Amino acid sequence: MWLPSYATPSERLSRTLVVAFAVAVLLFLIAPLFIIVPLSFSKDPFFTLPVREYSLRWYEDLFGNPRWFEAMMNSAIAAVLTTILATTLGTLAALGIARPDFPYRRVIMALLISPMIVPIVIVAVGSYLFFGEFGLTNTRAGLVLAHTALATPFVVITVTATLSTYDTNLTRAAHSLGASGLSAFFRVTLPNILPGMISGAIFAFATSFDEVVVALFLTAAEQRTLPVQMFSGIRDQINPTIMAAATLLLALSILLFAALALLTRKRAR
Amino acid sequence: MNAMSTDTFTTASSSQDALVRFSQVKKSYDGIHYVVKDLNLDVAKGEFLTMLGPSGSGKTTTLMMLGGFERPTLGHILLNGNPVERLPPEKRNIGFVFQNYALFPHMTVAENVAFPLRYRGIKGTAAREKVARALGRVGLEALGDRRPAQLSGGQQQRVALARALVFEPSLVLMDEPLGALDKQLRERMQIEIKQLQTSLGITMVYVTHDQSEALTMSDRIAVFHDGRIQQLADPKTLYNAPENRFVAGFIGENNTMNCTLVGREKGLAVVRMADGTVLKAADAPLTGGSAALSLSVRPENIRLAGNDLPPAQNLFSGQVTDMFFLGDHMRLSVAAFGGQIVTARIPVAQVQGIAVGGTVHLACLPSDCRLLEG
Amino acid sequence: MALSEPVDLERIRTFVAVRRAARPARRAALSLALPLVVFLVLTFVAPILYLLVTAVDNPETRSVLPRTLGALETWDGASTPDEAVFAALAADLKQAKADSTAALVGKRLNYEIPGMRSKMLAASRMAAGLEAGPFRERFLEQGDIWAAPETWSVIRRNGAGLTPYYLLTALDLKQAPSGGLEGVAPDQAIFLSVLGRTLLVAGIVTGLTLILGYPVAYVLTIAPKTIAAVMMLMVLLPLWTSLLVRTTAWVVLLQSDGVINSVLMALHLTTEKVQLIFTRIGTVTAMTHIQLPFTILPIYSVMRSIQPTQLRAARSLGSGPTSAFWRIYAPQTLPGVVAGCLMTFILSLGYYITPALVGGPQDQMVSNFISVYINRDLNWGLAAALGVVLLLVTLAIYGLFLRLVGADKIKLG
Repeated sequence: MWLPSYATPSERLSRTLVVAFAVAVLLFLIAPLFIIVPLSFSKDPFFTLPVREYSLRWYEDLFGNPRWFEAMMNSAIAAVLTTILATTLGTLAALGIARPDFPYRRVIMALLISPMIVPIVIVAVGSYLFFGEFGLTNTRAGLVLAHTALATPFVVITVTATLSTYDTNLTRAAHSLGASGLSAFFRVTLPNILPGMISGAIFAFATSFDEVVVALFLTAAEQRTLPVQMFSGIRDQINPTIMAAATLLLALSILLFAALALLTRKRAR
Repeated sequence: MNAMSTDTFTTASSSQDALVRFSQVKKSYDGIHYVVKDLNLDVAKGEFLTMLGPSGSGKTTTLMMLGGFERPTLGHILLNGNPVERLPPEKRNIGFVFQNYALFPHMTVAENVAFPLRYRGIKGTAAREKVARALGRVGLEALGDRRPAQLSGGQQQRVALARALVFEPSLVLMDEPLGALDKQLRERMQIEIKQLQTSLGITMVYVTHDQSEALTMSDRIAVFHDGRIQQLADPKTLYNAPENRFVAGFIGENNTMNCTLVGREKGLAVVRMADGTVLKAADAPLTGGSAALSLSVRPENIRLAGNDLPPAQNLFSGQVTDMFFLGDHMRLSVAAFGGQIVTARIPVAQVQGIAVGGTVHLACLPSDCRLLEG
Repeated sequence: MALSEPVDLERIRTFVAVRRAARPARRAALSLALPLVVFLVLTFVAPILYLLVTAVDNPETRSVLPRTLGALETWDGASTPDEAVFAALAADLKQAKADSTAALVGKRLNYEIPGMRSKMLAASRMAAGLEAGPFRERFLEQGDIWAAPETWSVIRRNGAGLTPYYLLTALDLKQAPSGGLEGVAPDQAIFLSVLGRTLLVAGIVTGLTLILGYPVAYVLTIAPKTIAAVMMLMVLLPLWTSLLVRTTAWVVLLQSDGVINSVLMALHLTTEKVQLIFTRIGTVTAMTHIQLPFTILPIYSVMRSIQPTQLRAARSLGSGPTSAFWRIYAPQTLPGVVAGCLMTFILSLGYYITPALVGGPQDQMVSNFISVYINRDLNWGLAAALGVVLLLVTLAIYGLFLRLVGADKIKLG
């Protein structure tokens, strides 16, 4: 696999170098993520390796301190609401876009994807100023609305990708066998695009749960989310409780990632 | 289901026999180009009608319009005498077998087959019995609990058939249903489908681009090309008496050579070939729509000229440019009539003393030659 | 073919029929996307438009000094205005004192006339105590600023509801007294260099991700299946991890007492602690780490579609391995390189968190300045104007991306 059998010696050497380089880059990609894990279990309040003594004291602080705990709850609530809203809106839109008769496809697709593209500070400042006019700043509703806007592109992309492999003859078959529009959708289309919807939902959840900048502008102390709490902490004076929070977020990411991988594997089969 | 006599050959000349009628149907997607142009076609009750043509000829669009998945741009489609252009597919009660089957992957075989029954108020034991009978008819009674993905292509094809038949529609449409199967299985399924259609007395409209499939199964074949029906006839007529150059070229193999009409004689057309050779041909009806004429003759109807031939033969000669051994016969390419390549199939035993570059004398019966437009 | 009259009529009839027949289906498809389109217009497009308006909005002078602006209409623009103008100003400031709006207009005019804020507050206090004229002398006693014609022309100019001031400032420009444009004083010209720095850092990060990522994408396509899967995991997992977590990791790594420094010391590569955090090198390293997957994935997806037989064909035709790679393989990966690099460049332009936590004062990007003007200086107009500049640059490159790659080509994982 690595090399064709007809490779010349110099080709073998250069191939070996390329592979070694790629492995080094991959280590550069992955290693920093896991550096925070041992530090979060360190007894010492400073960040050197190797860890001299392990303890759970920073996790006790994370879960015992009401500020941190409330932040976690706020993040979870906002993320769940965002997921529901974004998955519903995004799936509907993807169903429309996938139809051959969809007009102005390029323009509308460019609009729907643009929340991924526009610099996050512009979204944050824009919502901060605009939502202020309607009293939506420092409310959970405002945060959820802004996060939903940021999360919908992911749902649109995943569901559109699923629909592109969906055989439209299935819907036609359902109609020819007597199913009306809604019935065909719920009994045939929906079960077949569900993996794409769930992938989109996972992306939406992660988008909201990890988001800092918009939350920074739109929330006051009461709605403060976990990333905002972490961000303020690092700016102020970085402390090991933040390591514990980061490790927790990392674990959540791995969990969501695993769920997604499982889904795609199932879909492939 | 009321049994219909299916061995009688129907031409659907009287309108009360027509289950389906296309009247002046046109279809265009962009408003400029027509996919289907001026379609007029009757399908009789109990008939097996095949729409045959190359891809892009309009046959699948025609089927989709009948199924309700496309709407005619202009014109009408009548089902049992009622216009149905605005009727959604689920209200038409037509069985449809799709290319690649369109089995619902998240349902079992039995659930797939039971799907249409639910919309017809058939539930419980009655539904189970119907499903069992439908699966039995296609020889799959044991596989009801499987998922479509666990079945072979031929089995999936049978499930699709069972699903389209379980609610006893009087009309079943099939869109290249055997395209994904290998040759052997395809031939077996052709026979099975034909037998089912005959025994159940269903009307079948079948779309394919495979001419041998069409010739095997159909009562009548409509040859589509360029959005129009080029010829509508039973398989035998279509094969022996193609009406134009396209049909002659599309059904089986044919030599078509440019010629000019010089006169008529005893019901035969007398034509002059490019090099001046005069031949006689059966006279096909000429519409006068096309100025160009051609003479068509099948390779198997060309033989070597010899002494033991009856008179009134068309005789011509040419130079052999290629010879291929094909088992039971040789295939000769001969440059005749001033350079046109004529293909002939000659029994191997007769091909002695013939070599590439040599001159060969050929003959064919005027009744095997057809004068065509185009 | 002869163009007879009935044929033309028929064509028109068909055309109309096709358009009419397509309408319900188009409408149905559109109506499915409509909820999201409306939602995004309200929660995403409208805030951005609001930001654009904020960048040119100029309400302060108009609302606080209406009488003064009226009186200035007849002013010659060259001399100190007459008593009528000062009387109007006194009346406006009296009202302003009562409404506590003097600071508002003072702050706005202070952007263009340094020191104006305190002068305006002092004048409003004085005006509140004045019962009758003459007002002109009393104001002129307050300072030369009230005698200067420039002061009055700035006030008159800001009577307009819209101002180019913030946008010009964001580009290090200002309106000259003559009416044309001129550069601001060199010590105030910071924004173009901030924009340049943002583009530069984005460019460096894009280049680094390409150099590091291209071989990774290539190795992903040639590795045996199971190894490739593990490698893919190593690319996707960082992408999945919160940006903040990745930045946090770099903060910890780059600390002067942090992991990298302790490793360097342990290996005796350095005897003193190297300053890594709050430096350009630290910022670029962290951003490159975060952006790498975005560059790798599009390149990989293009590389995977290149048939290996092409390289074999090149070799059989006499090309050596190096020349086969550069002449056959590399050109075909170009679409992936363009897609990955444009995506990384666009995303790098908008970085906020990483420069804020890892970078020093000289590494702050346009986004960080926007945040500072909103939160610390409360200068929304300038923050919005910087936002407009950043948005326009980003949208221009997004437009390029749409043209070269297409929105439907964006894939996740």
